[in-house]
Amino acid sequence: MTQVLALVTDAYGGRGGIAQAARDLIGALAAMETVAAIDVLPRHAAEALIGLPPRVHQRPPSQGRFGYATRALAAAGAHPGLVFCNHLYMAPLALLAARRAKAKCVIQLHGIEIWQEPTRAQREALERAHLIFCVSRDTRARALTHCDLAPERVLVLNNTVDPRFTPDNRGAARAKFGLGEEFALLIVGRIDQRERYKGHDRVIAALPGLRHPEGRRVVFLIAGDGNDRDRLQAEASAAGVAERVRFLGQVPVADLPDLYRAADLFVLPSTGEGFGIVFLEAMASGTPALGLAAGGAPDALGDGALGTMVGDARMLPDALQAAISAPRPDAAMLSAATVSRFGPLAFRESVAAALNLIGPHRSRRI
Amino acid sequence: MCGINGIFAYHGAANPVDRSEIIRTRDHMAARGPDGAGVWLSEDHRIGFGHRRLAIIDLTDGGAQPMENADGSLVITFNGEIYNYRELRHDLEKKGHVFRSSSDTEVLLHLYAARGEAMVDDLRGMFAFAIWDNEARSLFLARDPYGIKPLYVANDGWTFRFASQVKALLSGSKVSRDPEPAGVVGFHLWGSVPEPFTLYRDIRALPAGHIQLVDAAGPRKPEPYANIAQVFADGAARRVPKDEIHAKVRVAASESVAAHLLADVEVGVFLSAGVDSGALLGLMRDAGQNKVRAITLAFEEFRGTAEDEAPIASEIAGLYGAEHMVRVVGEAEFRADLPEILTAMDQPSIDGINTWFVAKAAREVGLKVSLSGLGGDEILAGYPSFRDIPRWVSLFGIPGAIPGLGVAARALMQAAGVAANNSKAASLLEFGGSYPGAYLLRRGLLLPHELRGVLDPDSVRLGLRRLKPLARLRETIDSTPSCAASKVAALESANYMRNQLLRDADWAGMAHSLEIRTPLVDFDLLKALSPVTPGLTPGAGKRALAAAPSTPLPASIVDRPKTGFGVPTGHWTAAASAATAASKGAASRAWAREVFGHFGRAGPLGLAAPAALAVVAE
Repeated sequence: MTQVLALVTDAYGGRGGIAQAARDLIGALAAMETVAAIDVLPRHAAEALIGLPPRVHQRPPSQGRFGYATRALAAAGAHPGLVFCNHLYMAPLALLAARRAKAKCVIQLHGIEIWQEPTRAQREALERAHLIFCVSRDTRARALTHCDLAPERVLVLNNTVDPRFTPDNRGAARAKFGLGEEFALLIVGRIDQRERYKGHDRVIAALPGLRHPEGRRVVFLIAGDGNDRDRLQAEASAAGVAERVRFLGQVPVADLPDLYRAADLFVLPSTGEGFGIVFLEAMASGTPALGLAAGGAPDALGDGALGTMVGDARMLPDALQAAISAPRPDAAMLSAATVSRFGPLAFRESVAAALNLIGPHRSRRI
Repeated sequence: MCGINGIFAYHGAANPVDRSEIIRTRDHMAARGPDGAGVWLSEDHRIGFGHRRLAIIDLTDGGAQPMENADGSLVITFNGEIYNYRELRHDLEKKGHVFRSSSDTEVLLHLYAARGEAMVDDLRGMFAFAIWDNEARSLFLARDPYGIKPLYVANDGWTFRFASQVKALLSGSKVSRDPEPAGVVGFHLWGSVPEPFTLYRDIRALPAGHIQLVDAAGPRKPEPYANIAQVFADGAARRVPKDEIHAKVRVAASESVAAHLLADVEVGVFLSAGVDSGALLGLMRDAGQNKVRAITLAFEEFRGTAEDEAPIASEIAGLYGAEHMVRVVGEAEFRADLPEILTAMDQPSIDGINTWFVAKAAREVGLKVSLSGLGGDEILAGYPSFRDIPRWVSLFGIPGAIPGLGVAARALMQAAGVAANNSKAASLLEFGGSYPGAYLLRRGLLLPHELRGVLDPDSVRLGLRRLKPLARLRETIDSTPSCAASKVAALESANYMRNQLLRDADWAGMAHSLEIRTPLVDFDLLKALSPVTPGLTPGAGKRALAAAPSTPLPASIVDRPKTGFGVPTGHWTAAASAATAASKGAASRAWAREVFGHFGRAGPLGLAAPAALAVVAE
């Protein structure tokens, strides 16, 4: 039986994709019969701790880098068999902890953190880790570009989609978001000046030219908030579509499944996604999705087999028009196809198969 | 020959295998196998194989591939020849295995069923194959100990692909063309791309003498099962007395040639004026092949000079009663063929032109299989490197060990203008003191410090860090054979021969649908002769081989200075690369730039010139 030490930015009680990915992986580890217990050391403050699986213990966050490193190395003194680290910037510390514990070291890579050449310490940590989980084929390719890694140790572990996202009652969902006959495009994500690559602008720019074949009004729902909202609002006004672009602000997590169900087309024409879990959430909710063939998005879109993959941003208006004109796919089938590739079961199988590669990682204490 | 390929969608999120991609990749290799084509897909479409066939053993459909076993639990796609397949089949039949064909391919299926991965230890031959084990849901790949047959793999994290050629993998259009700086740097250091690297990050060679397993968790690390250096080391530990060398060479070479004649079609021979191919011809006659057609290349430019091999080759052919066919090649034909040559060249190489023409000639007269003397210089210590490298190591070993002295000496000599045109001479102190360093000096096209003049700094930095040229060379003599000749033989066999000569023989032969067999590159021969190598003084190995046929080669041929196939190609390539070449080395470097430029240009087979591959002006 293996003790696992998880050095994470945040996990339980954390917000955002990276915390979610950490929770998913920790959950999959906890479900393995060979794992005895998981000791989670978060770096950052968290909201209320909910949803901890059995055998998972999460400590309070640490004050400062030095304090965190001290605690991480002390925790390694308990001889875990596996040290898991969910962020490149903590990878050197994770490697040190793993060496102290004589444990296997597994590092998770998400996306843009590896788009630039990593620091020497980070690169060496990756090169010495036993396994690297990459959220997409694109992230994996970038890791292999920057580091001298045996390709066999660098695995793709895509994000998984929460079982809450199902087709369910679409009519009620549309009523909840005040949708009548409109054809609703939806984007979900932060509206941050540093994350303009997500492509809100591209959809707004295309909006004036989009026509539904039956004359339904095409509207664009923007879920999420951030410091770029005023600019986007100005752009919508300038394009003459201010009344067709609806800023929903931050939508509560509990309402997200209904929001996806309510939409007619989920669109995220981003050039910088490590993966794009929101594509999965939309498709698992039965709503078709559209994205660019850039970064990790092709993984989430199943190379075009699940969602629509647009070759490059210049082709977006035509692709949107085509998607608006196409009949809505069967929600149950789309959802089932998404879950069979990216559901919790597939995810757990991937984690188990991957850990099998680095063999038994027994704790010395047990 | 033959061409193999396959796709395994191992990751649960990957799309099912696309039959049309298998066929695109397969048919890029049409020249490897003009006699038949097959495709196989599993019922769930998670795995599929392609095969192009050059029929040599069991010419009937019984030898068609991909081949399934009787209950469909195993499927194989195989490229190569198993020279001991009849013995293996006999043993398997005694254990109750029932065969449906007379092909060597079917023997591999039964052997896997009986022995699993350990089957590779039983095989004698040149091979690259993949076996799908439907019960274990795993894919097993293997490549022969010397790496005579190629096998390239690509893994994008979802889907695993393999093929006999890099360009075939690319032609499927699903494999990334992102550059691999280690391959780029490797080509500029050596003039060929050192395995496991290719020019592309996502494509690697399954290394010679390795097996690999792929299952739901993806490909495992390739595992070695045979090691050339280890055999040389073992041989050095039980070296034979000098007076037994001739007998040992005679027995081993005769046996290997006889094994390499196994075919259901005619086997010819490439004949030069040298000892290696002449002895092969003599041994073919000894093995009972009465009719032998021998192909010799002659060059218009050399007609009537001492460099013309045709007259002496003709004499050797006469000695053994072979039908001699001299094929004359001139610069005009070279220029006409050049576009085809560059298209057929799978990875950039500064050589192979000579093999192109001799294979072309063999095919013109209807041969499908030909023996080649390739490998004689490596196993019988024929290269000048067997003399030079140990000498350099003993001269420069001690001063070269003083940190910084070598680099300082080179800088000083270059500053003083002493070594303006000879960087290698200036680097003797820097590299000459160790076997890997001296080998780099002997075989290198450029030295590491010269790369920045040809490639952009990032490619050089990333490429060298990943390639680790000296460390990689050291690994090829890791088992440290104790004697100098064995060390050099191991270095030559696992580097120049593997990455340059055997690759060239493959793409240049393949382009003409000709199978080139190499009786002097044979793992069994190596095991037999490795105790001989330590005792070989300069010329002794060749004299022993010359004496191996029952009618030995005459002294006039044995003592003739070596020329070898294809001397004027250096002039042609220098002319084709539009550079004024002051020396042979400069001509090679100019040709290397020409070839590399071709690979860097956008085109249906070329590279979409990414910035990292940009060749900076000289």
